[in-house]
This record gives sequence, structure tokens and C-alpha cells, in this order.
Amino acid sequence: MRKYVAKFILIMLLIFAFGSMTFAQDEVAVDTWEIHFLNSVTGPIASIGEYMSWSANYAAAKINEEGGIRGKPVEIVIHDTGVQPDKGIEEMSKIVDDVLVVMGPVPEAVIMAAVPLAVRNGLFCMTSSTSYEYTVEYFPWTLSWYPPTEEKLPPVTELWAEENPEMEKVVQFVEKWAAWPGMAGAHTIGLNNKNVKVIDVEVPKDAVEFSSLVVKALAEDPDGFVLTCNPDKAGKIIKELVNRGWEEKDNILVFSSADDTALYTTGGDALNGISIYNYIDPDSENERWLNFKQEYKEDHDGKNPGSLATNYYDSVYMIKEAIEEGKLTGDPAKLAEERIKIRDYCRNVENFKGIQITWSMNEGLPTSKPIFLFEIIDGEKQLIGKSR
Amino acid sequence: MEFFIAQVLNGLSLGSIYVLLVTGFNLMLLVAKIIQFAYPQFVVISMYATWAVLRATNNVILAILVTIVVSIFLNLLSEPIFRRITSIKGTDINATFVASIGLSMVLVEIMSHSLNQGFPISFSDNWVGGSVFRYGIINISRSSIFAWVGGIIVVVAFFYLLYRTMVGRLFRAIAENRHVAKLFGIPIFKTSIMSYLIAGLLGGFIALLLSMLIGTASPWLGESVALKVLAVSIVAGLGNLKGGLFVGLALGVVESVAIGYVAGSWSNVIAFVIMLIVILAKPKGLFGAAVE
Amino acid sequence: MSSTLMYFLGFSMTYILMAWSIYLPYRVKHLHFLAVATMAVTSYMGGILSVNFGWSFLPTLLLSIVIGALISYLISHTIGNAPTFTVVIVGITFVFIIKTAIENTDYLGGTIGLFGIPVLDHPLIILFAFLLVIGYFLYRIDHSRIGRAASVIFTDENLAKSMGIKPKQIGMLFQTISGGIAGSAGVFYAFFVGSLFPDFFTFHLIGTLMTILFIGGYTTMWGVIPAALILRGVPMILPSSIASWRLLIYGVLLVAIIATKPKGLITKKMLWELLKKRSGS
Repeated sequence: MRKYVAKFILIMLLIFAFGSMTFAQDEVAVDTWEIHFLNSVTGPIASIGEYMSWSANYAAAKINEEGGIRGKPVEIVIHDTGVQPDKGIEEMSKIVDDVLVVMGPVPEAVIMAAVPLAVRNGLFCMTSSTSYEYTVEYFPWTLSWYPPTEEKLPPVTELWAEENPEMEKVVQFVEKWAAWPGMAGAHTIGLNNKNVKVIDVEVPKDAVEFSSLVVKALAEDPDGFVLTCNPDKAGKIIKELVNRGWEEKDNILVFSSADDTALYTTGGDALNGISIYNYIDPDSENERWLNFKQEYKEDHDGKNPGSLATNYYDSVYMIKEAIEEGKLTGDPAKLAEERIKIRDYCRNVENFKGIQITWSMNEGLPTSKPIFLFEIIDGEKQLIGKSR
Repeated sequence: MEFFIAQVLNGLSLGSIYVLLVTGFNLMLLVAKIIQFAYPQFVVISMYATWAVLRATNNVILAILVTIVVSIFLNLLSEPIFRRITSIKGTDINATFVASIGLSMVLVEIMSHSLNQGFPISFSDNWVGGSVFRYGIINISRSSIFAWVGGIIVVVAFFYLLYRTMVGRLFRAIAENRHVAKLFGIPIFKTSIMSYLIAGLLGGFIALLLSMLIGTASPWLGESVALKVLAVSIVAGLGNLKGGLFVGLALGVVESVAIGYVAGSWSNVIAFVIMLIVILAKPKGLFGAAVE
Repeated sequence: MSSTLMYFLGFSMTYILMAWSIYLPYRVKHLHFLAVATMAVTSYMGGILSVNFGWSFLPTLLLSIVIGALISYLISHTIGNAPTFTVVIVGITFVFIIKTAIENTDYLGGTIGLFGIPVLDHPLIILFAFLLVIGYFLYRIDHSRIGRAASVIFTDENLAKSMGIKPKQIGMLFQTISGGIAGSAGVFYAFFVGSLFPDFFTFHLIGTLMTILFIGGYTTMWGVIPAALILRGVPMILPSSIASWRLLIYGVLLVAIIATKPKGLITKKMLWELLKKRSGS
């Protein structure tokens, strides 16, 4: 009997010891979850960088209110790359040996420069604001929030062309910067599908005055315009068009990357009635979104969130899910293995509840995400339709 | 033809602004003996002042006054720095150029980090003004008329000041030969301060005209303009006031016409290539340098 | 070695090389920003040669030195003894033109940039060895008859002429060497960073190099070394929120130095006295 008891106790002890060992293995090894974000908060896209940082921080604050990630608070650490590739490499080099996951970099040029360093060191980059074309080269160490540009954008311009069937010829203002020429090409495909001729007029990157450019565009005698250029330039060009007597406002389409505060400050009243497309629906009734929008407006002078405002909010939540589902610990000894767990989770997440829509990813690509087309009325976007 | 005329008219408005900027730049060069690379940055900051006052009060007169005061204040504020640099033994005009580049970097960073959260600013439609005359694609806006008329008035007033008044005579004496001027008892310091004051006044006017003409400003506006101003000044001949008038106007027209006929970003290059060829052929400028 | 340290040293050494290419022609008062345009040309050339034609590092480096020197040599025929600001504006204009040309050439990656250049396996050792060679070369020039002649030109060109010195010849020589150094710097940058971006070779880089040269001191070749280490290095240690004010800090330092120690922190005189003290004690 005593022998049995002793055996039993021994077995129990062993089970307990083993159990607590595995339990200890799963225990969180960090006091704070640091999520590093390679963003561009100075330089030419500083205004976009600002609101992307804002939304990442907002998500972190919400998560902390709800009890953090596995009981520990989360903190966003912003690294400014100022759109400079070498600064991107420099910032990446500071974290590449130690961190679990990185958000960004932003935008394309910094990705192409800094991500190879992350790939060499087995660090996953949540490139959540960039077109497919510029991240696919580094799969599986990156992902894309969007399907390939030439698949996703033509339906939007087709929709716009259907809304304005009188258009036969449009002028597209294209600024040769980052992914924009590629997006311009995709706009053209959609319009050509609807038998609308497209003439590209290039917008100089350092242009400050737009009357000459607008005269050139008007001389083509077009029925409409597409603006594929930086937000304040788009605002100025529309203003100049209106000053020169352009009246058919819904025949002006602004692309998503120009849907930013700067468009509204420079465009002002001239924007009234123009079309614009975007990845978020400002009229979504989702409660999380309504709160987000309200706090965003409070911090941004009453302006609505820009096109990319939700990307890093969703990214932070996706990382949270990955850590919770995979029971990650943040233990430096398991860094390599946990980095891969985050990577594999995010690249194949199923039914992820984003702030606006629920979607799934397949090997780093989203399987269902709509694009919305709006008309701007008194500075607010009114939904016209959406494309999938 | 209509197209060409429209572009030339656009170019003349832009050219008027270049002319004024180069004139202010040359004045500092001739009298204060500095290369004030940050001068266009002062103009841009003054535009921010116009914008802030208009937004807060919507009072046009106040906006004009504040703009001019801010511009004069900024220019006067830089005076002790440049005086200190030029007074150090063994330094030359290059030091003022380097310092003004430093100043320019500081101003751009302040604007891009702190003013309006780094967003570009935009002037309201009643400030910019609408169209006064339209014929096909030719459009004459109120702001272009202001730019032309304002440009002519300011240039005429400036040359009157320079060639018909006592201050102008002092300016020219210093520009001609600083040491001899000193020997003849010309108050160098006072006259130099005067040149900062006038450059500031001029800068205020430029800020007003520019804000009407392009309707917006951003932290990076000054940088590209500053390069062009320096280039115009050198193509004309450093410190050559009359040359600056011609070359400044020509640059505006060439840029506008080029945009009409050449694809976007190449259009700016055309102006630069022409200027480069002129400089390489005539390193001392088309009209001869007034300053070595 | 940690990644941070490696990139700190690598970037600092590349910037020292770049700053030296600005330093030498400034010995005769030429702010030779054509060097920055040259860096853009040779870095892209190096990138294309290695990515599309499989060239290895060494021949690319040698070719870039030759090309860089050649560009500067050709242009120096007209600006070899031009006034400072003519040299400045010729350089800046070239930078602008080259940048626009790159942006509009899809073959070079346009505005997106050129990527996938194979990075060096041991960049620090190669860079360091190369710096030693260039440093020795500059030291010999500075301490030769030509170097002394340059000093006279810097102080008084007319005096120099009356002494039988030919300013144009020396100007052309220095500009040509500057072009060669700049050419090599471009290739080192390309093979260290692995990617190129047209916006890098602009006013921003000009401003940074000027800051390094004038804060370190332009009267001796040693000044840019601590300046590059500190100005490039310190922002790497600072938290990002402060580091993003880097250009403002550069600007303030630049104005402060010019207004107080216009010859920079490290001057020839200072080194001379240091040397004297050591030999005296």
C-alpha cells in the first residue's frame, strides 16, 4: 500500500512538475509588449505618417484599457525614417536583433531598402500600407493589405465611368512617386474597359504653381480628370480647374492616397461635388469605428480620418491576436520561433475582425476587401458605391 | 497660339515673383555683403503669418500689416548673426552662405514640425480672388494682375529709391566700395540695417503677392525657390540688379512654356539646363557680376 | 558585432569619404557640389553593373573612380577657377538634372529606386582600408607644394598669382580628384546599403555634407572624421522622437559654429599646437 502511495505521489509530483514547467514556458517574459513601427513622420508624407502613428497609438491605448495583451500593456515605439532609405536601414538596424515583429516600413522606397535587412535576420514586417507589388518580393517576411493593384483598382474607375457615362476622354494628372504611376496605370485599365480614353499629364514633384499644368490639361479638351498625385497638389489643381471655369465636378476623381487632410485644406470649397475613392467607409456603423472617428476628429481639428488611417490600428490588433492565439512569451531565448509564429498567423488569419470589415488573408494576401467610391459634399464623403 | 499666350501670361506672373525675390536677394548681397540663401524662407514664414491672421480675424488690412511686420522683423533678427559673422577677421562671404543654409534648414524644420502640424496651408478663395478676364483657356486672375502691377510698382519704387534718394546713394556707395565708403564717413552700420529693413519690406510684399498667386504654402516651398533665386542671380551676374529683372522674368516664362510642351518633371530641367549652359559659358553671368 | 554598430561605422565611413570629396576643392574655395551629382551617377552605374551585368565590386569601384574623375575634369575646364558661387550653382544644377533624369528613367528604377544590389560581405574592413588609402593620399597632397599653394589661393588669389601659382590648374586638379573620391563614395554607398533612391542625392545630402565639413573644420582633412562620427552617429543613439529633429540640430550647430568658430572645431592651428606640445614635453 505504502509503495503505491509513494508511487502515486511520485507520479503526481512528476506530472505537477512537468505541468508547471510547460506552464512556465508559456508565461509572458516581458513587462511591456513593445511594437516597433518604422514610419515616416517627417518629410514629404509627414501628414500621412502622423495619422498612421496616431491610429497605432490609439489601438494600443484601447488594448491597454481592455487589459493589454496576455495581461501586459502594449506600447508603440515609433521610428521616423523621413522617407529616406538609408535612415530606414539605420532604424531597422537598431531593432533587427531584438524585437518580435515590426510594423512598416513606410513607404515603398524605405521598404525596398530596409526589409532585406529584416529578411536576413528572420524578422517579420507588417507592411500594411503598401501595394502588393512592393512587398511581394520579400514574401513571406512581409504581407500586403491589398490585392495586386491591377486587379483591385480597375473596378473602381469602371464604377466611376458608369456613374458618369458622358465621359469619353479624361486627363489623368500623374505624379511619378512611389507606387503612384502603377496605380495610374490601373486606373487607365478600368477606364479603357469602359471605352474612356485616358491622357496622362505628368505633375512635377517640386511644382508649386499649377496654372500652366491646368492650361495644358484643358487644352486636351477632356470630359473629366483623374488625380493621381500628392494630396496638396490635387487640392491645388482642382482649385485651379474650378477657377478656370470647370463645372462638372463629379467628373473629377481623386485617388485614395490623396484622401488626406492636406487635400481638404488646399482644395477647400472647390472640392464640393468631386468623386473620390478610398478603402474605408466613413459611414460604417461599427461602434469601434464610430469611437475611432470621433476621437480622431477631436485630435485633428474636426477632419475625417484619411484613407490609410485604419491600417495600423488593425495591424496592432492582428499582432495582439497572434500573440494570444500562439501563447507567445516575448522571451528572448525563443525569439526566432515566436517571430515565425506571428508571421504565419498574420499571413493566414481567418475572419479577422477589422475596425470596419471582417476579412481573411491567404499567404499574405487579403481574400475579400471592398473599395468605396464617394462624392464630397461640404467636406464630407457621401457613399456612391463600392467594388469588390 | 491661344495655348502659348495662356502659358506666357502664367509665366509672367511667376516671373514677377522671381524678379522681386532676386531684387531683395541682390540688395542684401550688395549692401550687407551677405549671400542670404534663407531670404525666400523668410518670405514663406511671412506667408504663414498672413494665413494665421486671416484665419483668426479675417481682417485683410491686419493681415497685410502683420505680414510686412513679420517679414521685416525676421530680416532684422538675422542681422546680428550676419554682422557677427562678417565682422570676424578672416571670414568671407562664403561663411554667410553657409550660415544662411543653416538658417534655412532650421526654418524648414520648424515649419514642417510645428506650423499647422506640418500640413501645407491654403488661402481662402476671397484672398486668392477669382478670374477677371477669360477667353478660351486664357485666364487672367485677380492675383496675376496683382503680381504684374505689384511687381512693376515695387521694382520702380526700388529703383527710384536706389537712384534718386539719399539712402540709395549710400547703398550704391557701399556696393561700389565698402572701404572707400567708410573713409568718406558713410555710416556703414546704419545703412546696412536700412538694407535689412528694405529687404524685409520687400519680402512682406512678396509674401502677400505669392500667397495670392499660388494660394498655398508648404514647408518645402522656400527650398526650391531659394535655389532658383540663387541660380537667377548668378546667371544674371551676382549682384546685378538690372540683369536680375530680365533673367527672373525669363525664368518664369521658360518654366511655364516648358510645362506646356514637355512632360512634367522634365519641364523644370529645361530651365536648369539653359541656366547651366549660360553659367558654363559665362561663369560671371550674362550681365557681369557686381560682386566678386 | 551588433547591426547598430556595423551600420553606424559603415555610414560614418561612407560620409567621411563623401565629406573629403567636398573638403579638397574647398581648399581653393570651391564648394564643389558636382561631387554629389557624381555620387549619384556612379552609385547608379555601380548598381546597374552589378545587378544587370554581374560585375563584382572591385572593377566597379575602379571604373567609378575613373568616371567620377572624368566628369569633374571635363566640367573643371570652365569652372576650374570660377567664383565660389558659380561652382556652387553648377553643382546644384547638376544634382537637380541628374536626379530628374534618374526619376524619369524606368531602367534605373525611376522614383521607386534601384534595389537588390548585392551588399559587401565585409564592408567595414574594405571601407576602412580604402579610407586609409584615400586619407594617406589627401595627407600627401595637403603637405606637398600643391597643398601649400592652395592655402595661398584660399587667402589671396592675387597674391597667389603674383607668386607664379596657377589657380586654375590647381582648381582643376582638386576638382578632378574630388570627382574620383566622390565616384568611389557612390559605389561604396550602393554596395553598403544595397538600394538607391533618387531623393537621397539632393539638397538634404548637400546640407548634411556641408554641416560635417564646416563643423568639423575645413582647414584640415581631420575635421570631418569626428564630425561625421558624431553628426551621423549621435542621432542613431538618440530616441527617434529627438532624432527626427536632426536637421534642425544641424542647422543650429552650423549657424553657431560659423558665428563663433568659423574655421570649425578642428583647425590646422589647433593640431599644430597639439603636436608642438607633445614634442615639447
